[in-house]
Formats: sequence, C-alpha cells, structure tokens
Amino acid sequence: MWYRETSSNQERLPEKGLDSIGRKDAEEGGSFGAGARLGAMKKRARQVGIKRREMARDRGTREIISAEDVDDMETKSNKGLPCSRRFFLKGLGAAGLSGALATLSGCKDAGKPSGGEGWTPQQYNAPGSWPVQVRGRVPIDPANPSIVRDDRKCILCGQCAEACERVQSVEGFYGLPIKNDITCVNCGQCALWCPTGAIGERDDIARVLRVIGDAKLHVIVQTAPATRIAIGEEFGMPAGSIVEGKMVAALKMLGFDRVFDTNFSADLTIMEEGTELIGRIKAAGGQHDGEGHAPTALPQFTSCSPGWVKFCEYFYPDLLEHMSTCKSPQQMLGSVAKTYYAKKKGIDPKQIVSVSIMPCTAKKFEASRGEMNSAGALAGNPELRDVDFVLTTRELARMIKGKGIDLANLAPQPYDSLMGEGTGAAVIFAATGGVMEAAVRSGYYLLTGQNPPDALLNLTAVRGLQGVKEASLEVPGFGELRVAVASGLGNARQLLDQIRADKQAGLPPRYHFVEFMACPGGCISGGGQPKTSVPPGDWVRKERIRSIYAIDATIYKKRLSHENKEVMDLYAEYLGQPNGELAHRLLHTTYTDRSGSLTAKNKA
Amino acid sequence: MSKGVLVDMTKCFGCGACTVACKLWNEKKYDEVNKPTLGEAAQLVDINWTVVSKHDVTDQGGHAAWRFAKKQCLHCVDPACASSCLVGALRKTPEGPVVYHPDLCVGCRYCMVACPFNIPKYEWDKSFPKVSKCQMCFTRVVAGEQPACIAVCPNQVMQFGDRDQLVKVAHQRIAAHKGLYIDHVFGETEVGGTAWLYLSDQPFDKLGFKTAVPQESLPAYTWQILSKLPAILLGWTAILSGIYFINKRRNAAAEGKLDHTGGPQA
Amino acid sequence: MTINGTRITFRMTPFRLVLIGFSLIFVGIVAYRLVNGLQMTNLTDAWPWGLWIYVDVKLGVALAAGGFTTAGIYYVLGVKKVKSVVKPAILTAWLGYCLVGFGLLMDLGRWYGWWHPIFSWGEHSVMFELYMCVLLYTIVLTCEFAPVLFKGLGLRKVSSFFTRLTAPLVIGGIALSTMHQSSLGSMYVLTLGKLNELWWTMLLPILYYSSAVAVGPAMVTCETALAGRFFRHEWDAPAMTYLAKWSGYVMTFYTVLRVGDLAVRGQLAALFALDTVSVMCLLELGIGCLLPLWFFWSYKLLGREMTKTMIVRNAVLMVLGVALNRGNVVFTGMAKAAGASYFPSVAELFLTMGLISVGILIYLFIVENFDVFPAHDQHAASGPAQAHG
Repeated sequence: MWYRETSSNQERLPEKGLDSIGRKDAEEGGSFGAGARLGAMKKRARQVGIKRREMARDRGTREIISAEDVDDMETKSNKGLPCSRRFFLKGLGAAGLSGALATLSGCKDAGKPSGGEGWTPQQYNAPGSWPVQVRGRVPIDPANPSIVRDDRKCILCGQCAEACERVQSVEGFYGLPIKNDITCVNCGQCALWCPTGAIGERDDIARVLRVIGDAKLHVIVQTAPATRIAIGEEFGMPAGSIVEGKMVAALKMLGFDRVFDTNFSADLTIMEEGTELIGRIKAAGGQHDGEGHAPTALPQFTSCSPGWVKFCEYFYPDLLEHMSTCKSPQQMLGSVAKTYYAKKKGIDPKQIVSVSIMPCTAKKFEASRGEMNSAGALAGNPELRDVDFVLTTRELARMIKGKGIDLANLAPQPYDSLMGEGTGAAVIFAATGGVMEAAVRSGYYLLTGQNPPDALLNLTAVRGLQGVKEASLEVPGFGELRVAVASGLGNARQLLDQIRADKQAGLPPRYHFVEFMACPGGCISGGGQPKTSVPPGDWVRKERIRSIYAIDATIYKKRLSHENKEVMDLYAEYLGQPNGELAHRLLHTTYTDRSGSLTAKNKA
Repeated sequence: MSKGVLVDMTKCFGCGACTVACKLWNEKKYDEVNKPTLGEAAQLVDINWTVVSKHDVTDQGGHAAWRFAKKQCLHCVDPACASSCLVGALRKTPEGPVVYHPDLCVGCRYCMVACPFNIPKYEWDKSFPKVSKCQMCFTRVVAGEQPACIAVCPNQVMQFGDRDQLVKVAHQRIAAHKGLYIDHVFGETEVGGTAWLYLSDQPFDKLGFKTAVPQESLPAYTWQILSKLPAILLGWTAILSGIYFINKRRNAAAEGKLDHTGGPQA
Repeated sequence: MTINGTRITFRMTPFRLVLIGFSLIFVGIVAYRLVNGLQMTNLTDAWPWGLWIYVDVKLGVALAAGGFTTAGIYYVLGVKKVKSVVKPAILTAWLGYCLVGFGLLMDLGRWYGWWHPIFSWGEHSVMFELYMCVLLYTIVLTCEFAPVLFKGLGLRKVSSFFTRLTAPLVIGGIALSTMHQSSLGSMYVLTLGKLNELWWTMLLPILYYSSAVAVGPAMVTCETALAGRFFRHEWDAPAMTYLAKWSGYVMTFYTVLRVGDLAVRGQLAALFALDTVSVMCLLELGIGCLLPLWFFWSYKLLGREMTKTMIVRNAVLMVLGVALNRGNVVFTGMAKAAGASYFPSVAELFLTMGLISVGILIYLFIVENFDVFPAHDQHAASGPAQAHG
C-alpha cells in the first residue's frame, strides 16, 4: 500500500476504524458467525413474538425469514414488542455486519511481496552496484564429458571461477562473445576447489558396474600412478598413504577380471617419448635418422596430461609441433590391451572392456577423443575405443565404499602379469617433474648406452611444487641437456609465452625438453583426486609427492623404464622397435588446432 | 529514479550463476530434469524466475556460434499485468520492479493472458497457486542493492542503474563498438518500454525474444475505454430513465391512471 | 412445506435423473478441485484460460444477456407484448449469473479470496470492472426475481417491496450489463499482439455488447421454444416475432460493424486466407451473422411474417454464432501466441456439464413451483414435464 502508484485514500481510511469495531465485536463474542447468530436471533424473535410486519420492514434481518418462520409467525404473532429490544437487535445486527466488513477489509493489506525469502553469499549483499570481487562460477557445457554440476549445491562462492582463471588461466583468457564451444580443458580443478561438491566428475560408476556384471565381457582395469598414494585418504588414512596393494585387492573384489598398472605403460611412454626426443635432438643437430615425417621442433613437450594438451590446442596451436606425438600412458595401455594382450590371451578385442582409474577428469575427455581408437582401427573396427571407461580416484573410492569394502584393512595383492610391472621411473609420473626425471634417466641410457649415475636418480631440481622449474644436465658424449618443468596451466602459460616469443624472434630453443602438467603439483593433485583439503592445500600435495618419491626410492626394485621386463617383452614379441611402424600406429597420436573454438586473448 | 538493467548478451558465456542466485534468493525449487534453467530447453516456469536459454546462431564472421539469453520478467514501464490485475496484486513500483503480492491475488490469471511476453507463470500443482515471476529482487532494490542475478554475474553482463541513464549508455555502447551490436536496444520502445534493456549482436528473434509486440503501452489502450465508462454509465442511466418515464407517462395517459407497480406482477 | 399454497413438486424423469447424476459428479469434482487446486485441469502456462472461462464465464454471460434486454424492452421501452417472456428471461439470467459466479469461483486459483476485489481495487483493470458489475448485477437480478420467489413463499409484503424497486433495478441492471458485457470484449484489448488481428480491434467492447444485445433475446427465444415443448405452453407469436426483429436489427448493426472493422483494418485478405484461423472466423460470421440475417432480411424485404420455425432457427444460429465468436477469441485467436495446444480434461468437461445440469435442475424446480410462466399454464405444468422433461 505504501508504494502504490495511485494511492486510493477512500478505501484505506475506514480500515483502522472498522478494524477496532470488529475487534470490539469479537470481544463481545459476536464476530460474524452469521448462521449461528442469526439462528439465535430467529429463536428470540419467535419468543418475543415479533410482528411479521415489523420484521419485513427491518432490512437488516430480512434474509433470516425462512418459509417456516413465516408460517410460525402468521399463527403466533400477536404479542407486543418493547421498542428497546428491537433497537438492540438492530444494533447487534449492524455491529455484526460492520464487524464482518472490518475483518474482511483488514485483509486487503497488500501483504509481503513474493520472493526474497532466501539468501545469497555475503559478498553479494552490499548496497550499490559496485562489482563483487569473487563472483559467479565457471560455465560448464551440459555435454562436457568430464565434469558436471548440480545447481542444487551451488552457492555461487566463486571458487571454481577463481581456480579456472587464477590457477589455470582458462576463464578470462578468451574474448567474448564466445564461439560455439564453452572453453574448458577438462582439468577438473574447479571440482577440486568446489566446497559443496556441486561440481564433480561425470559419474560413470553405474556403467562400469554394468559391464562388470556382464559375464560375457572381459573387464580389465588400469590404475594411474597417482591413485595409489591418494585413495587411502578417502578411507580415513593420512594424506599420502601408500595403498597400492590394497587398491589392487579392492579392484579384484569389485570383480574386475584383470588389474593392470598404468606404470607399465608409463615406462612404455618413456621408451617412446625418450626415443622421440633423441630423434628430435639429432634432427636439430643435422643427423636425420628414422622417420622423415617425425616432428623435429625443439623443445619437445610432454603429452601425458590431457588437460595440458587441450590447453595447448586452444591457446598455443602454433606450438603443437613441439608436442610429443606419444599418447598418454592411459591410452597406450588401452591400445596395447586390445591388441597385444588380446592376442596373447586369445580374447576377441570386442569382448574386452578397458577401464582406467585416473586422478584426472580430463582423462575422461581424452578417452572420448575421436582418434583414440588405434586398436580398433588396426583391427578394422573403428568403433572400438582404446579405453572404454575412465573413473576418477574419487569414483573408485565411492565404488569401493558402495560395496562395503574397507580398503584400509585389505591384504595387499599384486598387479596381474603382462601389463602389471612398473618401475620407479613410472610411478614418479604422478608428481610434477616426474616425467622429465624418468625421461632423463632413460634418455641418458639411450644416448650413452649406460645407466645414469646416482645423481640423476634424484633430480631434485625438477622436483617440488614450484610453478616453473629449470635444469641443465651434462650428458657425456652429448653435451648440455636443458629441461624445464611447469605444473598448473597458469604457470605453463608463462613458459609458453616465453617459448613463443623466442620462436617468433628466431632465437635458438632455450630448452630441449619441457614437461607440462595441467594441475598444480602434477597428477597427485589432479582434478579427480580425493578432496582431502578444500581448496586443495599444498600440505596434501607435499605428502603425496613425498610418498611418490618414497615408492621410487625405496619400495620398487627397478627405477629405470628400460629395465621394465614386461615392456621389453612387449617390444620383443609384438611392437618391434620404439618409434617403429607398429608403435607409431598404436602409441602415437595427432592433435587438433582448437583456436577456432575461441578468441584467445593473446594470440600467436 | 526508476531502475533498470542493461543486458549485453554478447558477454554471456552461459554459466547460469544468475539462475542459481535467483533460486537461492527466492527459495525456488530446482528441477533440472523437467524444468531446466540453462540450455536449449530452458523455460520460465513457476520455479524458474529467470533462465539462460541457449541459441545456435551464426556469428558475424559466418561461423556457427552459441548465444545465451538471460530471460526474466522485463518489468515494463507501463505493465499490462499490473493494469490487468483486478485486486492490484501486481504493481509497478516507483523503484522500477513490477511486484506481485500473493496475499491479494485471487488467481484469475488475467495477468498471464495480458502479458505481451507471456512472463507470468502459475503454480499449477499447488492447491492455492501463486502467480510466479521475477520480482527484480524488489526488497534488495529498495535496500539499495542490485538484484541477486546481477551481483553474481562473473562477466558483468548486466548493468544496474537508472533506466533513463541506461538507455543512453546502451546507445553509446552501440556507437562505440561499430559493427558489434545490431542497432537496436530491445526494451527501449517495446510495449512502451521495459526496465530491462538488451544489447545483442544477433537479431533478437533468433535469441527467443518476442519481437512482434506493440511499440506502445498496452494499458493505454484499455484506459481509452475504461476512462469513458463512468460517463457512459451516467449518460446511459439518464437516457434509460428518461425513456422509462416518457413511456410510463404515455402508458398512464393511455390507461388513464398511473401504474405504480408497472411490472408483470401487477 | 408449500409454495404458492401447493405442495412442492419435482417430477422425476429419466432426463432429470441423468442431470442429477451429472450434478452429483459435479459436487465431487468441486470438492476435489477446492482441495487440490487446478491440477485436474489441462490448463498450462501457455493456456491459463480454458473451457471454464469460455463456457462458464464468457458464453454464460453473453447468453444470459436475455435478462437485461427483455427487461429493458418491456419496462423501459414499454413494449407490453413481450410480457410473457420477461419473467422466464429474468429467471434464466439470474440462474445464469449465479452459475457464472460459481464457475468463476471454480476457476480462481485462490478462490477463498474471491472477495478481495471489493476491498482492494484494481481500478485500472477491466477485470475489476467486470467483477464489480457482475457482482452487483447478480444482486440486481436477485432483487428483480425476488418478487416471484417471495410471492411463492407467501411473503407478499416483501414481494411487493421488491416489485416497487423494479424500475430502478431494471435501469441499473441495463447500465451494469452494458458495462460488463462490453468489458468482456475490452478484456481482450490488452492482448494486442497476442490475439489474432481478425478479432483484435478497439471496437471489441462495442462488438461484444451489440452481439450480447442481439443474442440475449435469441437465447430467450430458444429457451421459450424448449420450455414451450416441455410444458406445452402456447407460442406467444407477437412476443417472439418482436424479439426476432430485435435480434435481427441489432445483429445487422453488429455485422456491419464487424465486417466494416475488418475491412478498415485491412484484414479481409486474412479473412479469406482459408487457414484454420480464417475458416473459424468465416464459420463464425457465416453461422452467426450472414445466415440468420439472410433469412431475416429476405422475409422482411418480401414483407412476410417469420414463422415459428424460422424464428427459432434464426435464434439458434445466432446463439451458435456468438458461441463461436467467444470461442474464437478465447481459443482460436490466441492459439498462435500460446504456441501450444489445449483440450479440456475430463474433469473440466464434467464440471462444466455438471454446472449446466445443476442450472437446469434449479430452473425446472423453480418454474414448476413458482409463478414464472403466465398463470393459466400453472396447472398443466407438471404433467407434460413428465412426458418431455
């Protein structure tokens, strides 16, 4: 009423007055229970013998005369009526009527406007239209293969946008209006930062349980290096607890037919990537050997992190020639499983379902990339995916909990043979700098024919959480090998801008080999890892990294990829040479220039 | 001092934060399966006071592109819904928002029929349903705050301020970015003007806007008729009374006496 | 208990049993609706108004226009020859408005607040004006019919009190009817841009009013014909011929205005586009205007008196035409703007049928027990009702 445009006084004024009358009337016990009171009045009217003529003239009580009353009255209406009584009745009727009106008119108050009963976070509740500092959230395409959001849990805290923009330099690094894509590298850091769990991985548990339940299918599973030092946290164990054997035991209890180790294919990756690196270095030095089609650009970039790969495709397509053509360990194991393993075991590749447990949401995207069907393409069945399902560490934990398995108290079990052996060089893939260190170990061997000295087995220069790390190594017979490591795409961006600038200026390459990891700290803090601290804290990252290097240094017997017996068997029995013809078809891949999907803010 | 909002649809990347802010602030239920707030199927319904709808378009470079359009009540300068409401449950406030008072509403749904943009929705599954539409966070606006959806927008797609000022800002922006926007501010003249104004690089009908609406205020049409009614009522009554008395006198003269009752009951 | 000195009668016939059946279903649906809201309807955000608004309100009010038109013809214009139809017309109008009120109440989402408009005025709203007029006019009609009721109950003094009020009541009633019959049209003036141009015009109030004035007597004619068959009344030829002429002239005015308006607004091409909308509009104009007017004017110009069959046929055509017109405005003309389809649910259909059944039953009860038709028919009433009713 108070802000009504045309305030109409005539309807507002009587309200209060009448209201008080109504209340008084209610105190008298009168109110307007018309039926009951009028009934009482009827009886009284009959008692006092009110005259029909008077009654009919009395408009206030006219409607109470029923046919019966009239009949009654016609026969028994002869006694007189004191005037005061009639006036009393009239007055009562009038009071009742005005009471009724007052009660009704009291309700015409406009009442509360609709809406506004809820809340928004504190930062949004301030007078004025100044922009709020931490606001909104990241856009997520409903078709995103990696992450989904549940609006019911979103509190608009702005953390996802913080992670995406400040940590990963994705949101805010492309222009608006957008094109026909919601720019996302699928890294899942937003999910890791989300305090309410509104953002999470696309849940594939049900689909995996379905294939496990199908007896006709042979379901194999691989576990990434970083899963074994993180999943224990979901079961109440301290950060960084090493639960490799327990996890294998749990996977077997869940009904997977074979449990393989991505460490195996990490070693395989080192063989391929190391060979590729030496090829590039030799080509740069004028010694062209092997494939003429192999890229020769230096530095070589690692390609195991699918979030990083997509980032490069989006923002640095001009540097894609630096990207190692090697697939990631996940995809290598997938394509080997449906060829080599299928052949060795005599299983139809179509019967094999390949599942991977990854610390990563981008791996879901990677497995869905069109070109990741090498095994199928080789067998003439391009529909066949190299990896069918990717579960994050969190999903595996939910799956194990769902089956009521207490991971912490399981007896450890070993990985299955053929693709179950891994070295320390493979397990350190989980930490930032690990791929680089592993590559240096085997690169040294490939260049010199000798195993690296102990100093190179603890390459502390590339270890740790620092965003960008550099190292320079002296390799006998080769000279100086310059390497760099970046984790977290915001850090990667700094290095990439420098490399791009050098390249545009025609300067010689600053580095021979650069490792990029999408997530800060590497896979140990991947977007699919347990949310032991929110937002992800460095103390958790450090604990996990400590465990990774502990496995390398003290638990595994072998620390060099080229010493992996099963990998060597794979080459001897199936693939032939690293970077050979079959290796190229199964273990190498191509990249897509995605710069047309966005308007990058700093273009080449 | 009527407030308005200028929406620059080229800046929206479809995060949907505004839709969540609306649900949080107004305590609306979520039903992403049947009543999505974001995407191609997004529809304003009883629980969705604002949605962000997704549209496949062709950008100025001729490439396929996506555009997102934030939809909610446009808060007309002269709202048809408010003029249609027989109890004044819908009111245009001096601050700008068109506000709904459920305690007054009797549920005739004339506002839904009257709204040129089909904005008011109804809680069909409730026993005593309310009309449901964006209130432009009236209580926030009165408290000097911006509506919730505007505060949370990461790209500052929306600008909150005095409507008159925003109309100028809109035209300045069109002039300053030659070739980016189409030269029309949606809501400047539609149905006589709306508090929410839109800039776009795409034709508005391609973004799900109802462009075929009158350019004048709708209540003005009704008022042309309503304002004449008291005169008609009085005049018509006078004429009828006149005819009645003339005929009565004539009849009386014919019958030689005055007929008091005059009815068929006589 | 007695009315008019005789015992209350209400003959049971199979037809009435069916009506009672419908009425019982109606009571059930009403109870369910009052508790559970409008979920039982097929109404949606795209179609906030449906069958109930169309039949119970739009059509009901238009067809109940017979009350104020015949009362006006008889009392104000002093045309005494229509006397026999006045009381039945007022009765049907009164019942009609009561049912309209009830129908509207059923349609109100927050029906318990039906009285809010009395205290919170939406003075800019056509709906408010409509509400007030319908409310007041229903009271006026009640008072207009009160003499018959009170006389029947033996309260002659009360009856004659209301009889003395007749003249102001009739004049007030006409004024109120003029307002709200036209308002039913004005309501859609606000739907500019939504309602198809074949129907949207600033003349909507005048068109609605004039068509109501034409169709009111036509409806009275239909009712009289029906009642005449059921109760074997004599066909009051002078009265009926007068009403037919009345409807004919007013409908001519309406048609000229309607077609002229379409022509002026350049809608004739759309009228003959022969799509769904145009076909429905042509049907409306053909059935409601051109056919009856063709019959009316051909007889008129040839100087022939219309026969009873012709009068009734014309009346039926006009009623159908107005029904089509109101339906076209509510449904056909709004379909494109709604962008979805609507068909009433079973509950909606049964509630409407039940409402009409209740109306017919009350009508039958009143005409059998009260002094509605001319006195000489009173004693013949119950017998034939058994045969036909």
